[in-house]
Amino acid sequence: MNSENLLSIKNLKTHFTVGESVVKAVDGVSFNLEAGKTFAIVGESGSGKSITALSIMGLLPNNLAQTERGEILFDNKNLIDLEENEMRKIRGNRISMIFQEPMTSLNPVYDLSFQISETIILHQKKSKEQARKIAIEMLDLVGIPEPQKRIDSYPHELSGGMRQRAMIAMALSCNPKILIADEPTTALDVTIQAQIIDLMQELQKKLGMSIIFITHDLGVVSEISDHVMVMYLGNVMEIAETSELFNNPLHSYTKSLIDIAPQISDEKREIKVLRGEIPSPTNPPSGCVFRTRCPNPGIGCKGGDIEMGLIEAKPGHWVDRCCYECNQT
Amino acid sequence: MIRVENIKKYFPIKDGFFNNKSGDVKAVENVSFEIPEGEILGLVGESGSGKSTLGRAIIRLIEPTEGNIFYKNKNITKLSDSEMRKLRKDFQIIFQDPYASLDPRKKIYDIISQGIKVHEKMDKNSINQKVEEIIQDVGLQKEHLNRYPHEFSGGQRQRIGIARALVLNPKFIIADEPVSALDVTIQAQILNLILELKKKYSLTILFISHDLSVINQIADRVMVMYLGHIVEVANTSNLFSNPQHPYTKSLIETAPQIFRKNKKKTLLKGDIPSPINPPSGCVFRTRCPNPGIDCKGGNIEMGLIEVEPGHWVDQCCANCN
Repeated sequence: MNSENLLSIKNLKTHFTVGESVVKAVDGVSFNLEAGKTFAIVGESGSGKSITALSIMGLLPNNLAQTERGEILFDNKNLIDLEENEMRKIRGNRISMIFQEPMTSLNPVYDLSFQISETIILHQKKSKEQARKIAIEMLDLVGIPEPQKRIDSYPHELSGGMRQRAMIAMALSCNPKILIADEPTTALDVTIQAQIIDLMQELQKKLGMSIIFITHDLGVVSEISDHVMVMYLGNVMEIAETSELFNNPLHSYTKSLIDIAPQISDEKREIKVLRGEIPSPTNPPSGCVFRTRCPNPGIGCKGGDIEMGLIEAKPGHWVDRCCYECNQT
Repeated sequence: MIRVENIKKYFPIKDGFFNNKSGDVKAVENVSFEIPEGEILGLVGESGSGKSTLGRAIIRLIEPTEGNIFYKNKNITKLSDSEMRKLRKDFQIIFQDPYASLDPRKKIYDIISQGIKVHEKMDKNSINQKVEEIIQDVGLQKEHLNRYPHEFSGGQRQRIGIARALVLNPKFIIADEPVSALDVTIQAQILNLILELKKKYSLTILFISHDLSVINQIADRVMVMYLGHIVEVANTSNLFSNPQHPYTKSLIETAPQIFRKNKKKTLLKGDIPSPINPPSGCVFRTRCPNPGIDCKGGNIEMGLIEVEPGHWVDQCCANCN
């Protein structure tokens, strides 16, 4: 293990029991997050991106979800084994999270002052007045104009972009080591999305935190991240440095995603299509989970005989074994 | 096929005990354009720019406040409800959210066949035949007709929405953000389907989207809308290779791209202003990266001028450049 790794996830499995069947939402995910870097998780809806994030945060209900095996190593501790009161000291303090829809993730009946101060008072043992002062500084930091006035606003008085800025202010108020951003720009207009991405990059430079950035948009990935993990149906398909992944994708799912991604070009291009839909996670295909949609599956994949697992094809570039072997032959 | 002249849509704001009118939401301001037969015209803009209102106003789903709409050279602005109803089957809409636009208590067969029952006098057998044909055209099977909307995935529901729109053999389709709620792989499937069906049914389409890269893939010509105004119109390749308006330029530069040619990004400051009280003169001037002296003062009226054949841009910016 690399000493620079801030967070190290090994063979994480989060399964839900629904009636008699088991939904394998996350089925064996491993990756490392380096200090000060941005790690993107990309995939379609239902691929397990958000569940991975929620598992790290310990935010899933215990009675439904079993984070079965695996390790989430942070600060020499396995977060899976921590008691709830210990986890509470980390959550929002050392690792915090922002969500997709700022309107539903801010509390509509409290003003920003209360909501941002709450974390500061809880984790940093500050008085109300001090916390309010820090909250104003945070609003200023995230580029909200007139923070002294805005601190007393309620969420409905802010635009979508401003709300997302307020969310970021709240998440960063305890100076966390890791910020998990779950589709933070998906609900925003393009011009506002560009502002928020710009802001997050600036804040990362200033504060030095690591970011786990979850998105379905490969364009956003290429703008913001250092490393990318591609997920499909709860499994990792490929992990690589961002430019390596885009210039030299090894997995056929990654290749299809790159082919399909709408690109602005001067000439009209043919629209490429990946057939079919993501299968149900209650009954995933045996062997390689992508084989039902693979444009050119090998003989071994078709039969579903090849077990999934990552292989390091090149230093730092990991790809699922099945596709790697297909490409070799 | 469709010609729109100086269309305006204001929504009155009513306030107080007597519901006095206290102002207007100026959703669409003096918009004129044409869609020739067989064209896909892209309409792009941020939320609140008036895209959907414009789309609905031109088929009179909401009544425009001012202006004229011509369909096949016939002015349809003042047609009575009953006359309009006869024309309705020529116009159809595909909506954004396939979860909200299908009645959860109806079977797919009933959802698709309802239009035929209202508009055409057909016997049961020919209705069945028509519905079965259309469901296969959109890539689903006959067996799906007996199911309910909740049994389908988002992409399949959007296919059903398209089938419902096409069953009356419409001439003109408004596709209002039809792929925004879908995953990228499904998005590509639906875009492809729309292009295929456009050929098969010889459709004319107004394609509304906030996503420039989607517009780039599908549209023949593009209109860029900002705060109720059209700020630039050009054919697709012209608009993307040679954008004139700073708003268009910024939209193109900031659209996230995997392989970006041009690393320059001009970020727009702030949010789109309220349409209740838009800036005077050029509505974009409050966010313009480099406004001229006249624009800043708000003295220049808005209006399109032609900078090269078929490429129109707002005169304020045309003069600035």
